Amino acid sequence: MIEELLQSSPGWANFGIFFLLGAVLLLIVLGFVTYGILAERKVMGYMQLRHGPNQVGGKWGLLQTVADVLKLLLKEDIIPKAADRPLFIIAPVIAFAPSFMVLATMPFTDKFQFADIGVGLLYYIAVSGLTTFGMLLGGWASNNKYALLGGMRAAAQMISYEIPLVMSVLGVILLTGSLNLNEIVAKQEHGWFILLQPIGFIVFFIASIAELNRTPFDLPESENELVAGYHVEYSGFRWAFFMLAEYVYLFAMSALITVVFLGGWLPPLAILGFIPGAVWFALKFSVVVFVYIWLRSTFPRFRADRLMEFGWKVLLPVALANIFLTALIKSLFF
Amino acid sequence: MIRTEEMILNVGPQHPSTHGVFRLVVKIDGEVITEAKPVIGYLHRGTEKLAEDLQYTQIIPYTDRMDYLSSMTNNYVICHAVETMMGIEVPERADFLRVIAMELNRVASHLVAWGTYILDLGATSPFIYAFRDREMIINMLNELSGARLTFNYMRVGGVKWDAPEGWIEKVRDFVPYMREQLQGYHNLVSGNEIFLDRVKGIGTYTREDAINYSLSGPNLRCTGVKWDLRKNEPYSIYNRFDFDVPVAESGDAFARYHLRLSEIEESLKILEQAVEQFPAEGQILAKVPKIIKAPKGEAYVRIESPRGEIGCYIASDGKKEPYRLKFRRPSFYNLQILPKLLKGENIANMIAILGAIDIVLGEVDG
Amino acid sequence: MLGLAKGLKYTLKNLTREKVTYDYPNKPLPLPDRFRGIQKFYPEKCIVCNQCAQICPTDCINLTGKKHPDPAKKGKIIDTYDINFEICILCDLCTEVCPTEAIIMTNNFELAEYSRDMLFKNLEWLDENDENIRQVNKA
Repeated sequence: MIEELLQSSPGWANFGIFFLLGAVLLLIVLGFVTYGILAERKVMGYMQLRHGPNQVGGKWGLLQTVADVLKLLLKEDIIPKAADRPLFIIAPVIAFAPSFMVLATMPFTDKFQFADIGVGLLYYIAVSGLTTFGMLLGGWASNNKYALLGGMRAAAQMISYEIPLVMSVLGVILLTGSLNLNEIVAKQEHGWFILLQPIGFIVFFIASIAELNRTPFDLPESENELVAGYHVEYSGFRWAFFMLAEYVYLFAMSALITVVFLGGWLPPLAILGFIPGAVWFALKFSVVVFVYIWLRSTFPRFRADRLMEFGWKVLLPVALANIFLTALIKSLFF
Repeated sequence: MIRTEEMILNVGPQHPSTHGVFRLVVKIDGEVITEAKPVIGYLHRGTEKLAEDLQYTQIIPYTDRMDYLSSMTNNYVICHAVETMMGIEVPERADFLRVIAMELNRVASHLVAWGTYILDLGATSPFIYAFRDREMIINMLNELSGARLTFNYMRVGGVKWDAPEGWIEKVRDFVPYMREQLQGYHNLVSGNEIFLDRVKGIGTYTREDAINYSLSGPNLRCTGVKWDLRKNEPYSIYNRFDFDVPVAESGDAFARYHLRLSEIEESLKILEQAVEQFPAEGQILAKVPKIIKAPKGEAYVRIESPRGEIGCYIASDGKKEPYRLKFRRPSFYNLQILPKLLKGENIANMIAILGAIDIVLGEVDG
Repeated sequence: MLGLAKGLKYTLKNLTREKVTYDYPNKPLPLPDRFRGIQKFYPEKCIVCNQCAQICPTDCINLTGKKHPDPAKKGKIIDTYDINFEICILCDLCTEVCPTEAIIMTNNFELAEYSRDMLFKNLEWLDENDENIRQVNKA
């Protein structure tokens, strides 16, 4: 359906349909963010021998995040006097918009995808890099020393970890011969890339945590050192946008890992094919999200300089070696 | 040419990792600290001055609020000082109760130090595990003294309450439980490569520095000085127990971290023996006059608190209030080495170093 | 890497362990008998000896007595008795010195009020505070 719409001549009807579809996806994503945050708090709570939210919305705290968002909406919008006003206002938007844009190419099932573009993987990585601007600008515009340090850390970290992220996934691209996410999934029918590319997967996974700014790589917003990092001066809905961007990226990154390394919507065994692809996707996706939360509740934070060393001296060479190895194997055995 | 300039960053008085109202003015070049200046006094309540108008019994609740994580040792040091001046012999049962309470409190205090230190380094869970176990100790001390933090348990000449029914058994059961949990802590944190990377070789100082800066407690023992007042100048009944003084050689944050966990183990050893030898009956309060008047003169006593050497100096002119009271508060002395340690470190290390010194602001400010 | 794996195993194990938090505002906290909460005052027991006011480390007790209405009896009875809970530290010394156990601790500890003035508790209030009274008061 999307293909037809993309091919047809432009017009208001087309615009309306796309707008509507986009809004629907946004609602789905917001739904995920709402319950992703709740899941994170619940899982972390249970790991820490407490219950997590259990007051608003029954025993499971199902409405806790909704209440939190409402509270954020009602909060006074504070812009510091010495802040760079236009940049301060636009920074959360810059941080959030790319996180939603990357979802366009994500094939959730073989039918449910918005744009099946040839360079889907490249598109994802390229667009997701833009968020750093939002963080850096937000940190700089706040005119706060902690925010500035946080913003600088965010920029340095993103640059350092974007490279191993791309390099690690090159192995997959070599094996598939395509940057198209649908083709990458299709290629995994006989074996997931997590098995064929274990080193690539590990490097990708570590780099993805750094990209997501999550513990143990949450340096840009490390509350114990920089109080809250780049968003220390933000409150209310502007702050919510930074958080939203973070959790939408969690959604997008988990989806990407599912697609690239865990076989997307394909069942693990052919005989399990009667279960719909969407269920498989959701299951694999949930496992990835759980692992992210699990890591967060276990590990302490890296140190800024060690983080750089780790990125450049360990991850990047390993990723490069992985490409070399993959190329060798491909030319010898395939 | 890029123009660079140093900037002054105010860390605190309201900052998540300064463990209270502690302010640190750091001059940073990028993320590297070129100069650090601690500013203290935000929690100063003038305990020493107030004490000049208070009877000796009334001073005890004030000492609760100095090092609020280990009130029992503070209680003890003031009672011990007055007892020394008056020459009061404390009954055996009271001594046992004091030692058990102090060692339980030491474990609780080190658990907080451990939990908050890992929290400073960015991991959230260990903090809650530590507080779960601390809660058990706090509940036991609550049963004993009637408060969870400001115990006000000891009196000149003994203790206020006898152990309630079944309390000694609770302590006995707690020891093996805590040993098991300690193993869990080591599994969770001590071997974690990220953690080791952050604390090994950080905030290192030499034995000479430690002595020159008058450091005490784990901050001194991490440089290899085997100095623990419970062993070197046994007070109360510590000479009856068999325990080690753990020392480390490296003098870095990891050594201090490790020493605190080892000290919990040693405290558990003492607790185990104290519970075994606990006298079946006896007085808990020596015969003391109703109005306590220390004789004219002065005395200085020192004991080993979880944070180091806590001392109490009393000058008395024979009245029921002290003429002058002075506490040697270990956190205050331990903090003095901070500017030296911070020079040339980066912001992330600043938190790791400050946390490893393990200050309590109530004690720093007095 | 082994250290990281051990840590992960530890947190995963705790996922299904029994939770240790209290359901506090819904269920009262379990407190031992000795717990030092807001004082209960028995005006009829008080002999106006002033010891509590003297021993109080923060000087938060104010009391006045009056002559016994029965002229045949000696001594005083209590007239006003105020505790300022802005500065009271619940240290237990007043109950410790009281010769007639006219003032004793309870297990009530919830002292939050909307105004500082309301923390000033008078004789009537302290007399009515008669729930969860401590059973054993002297060691």
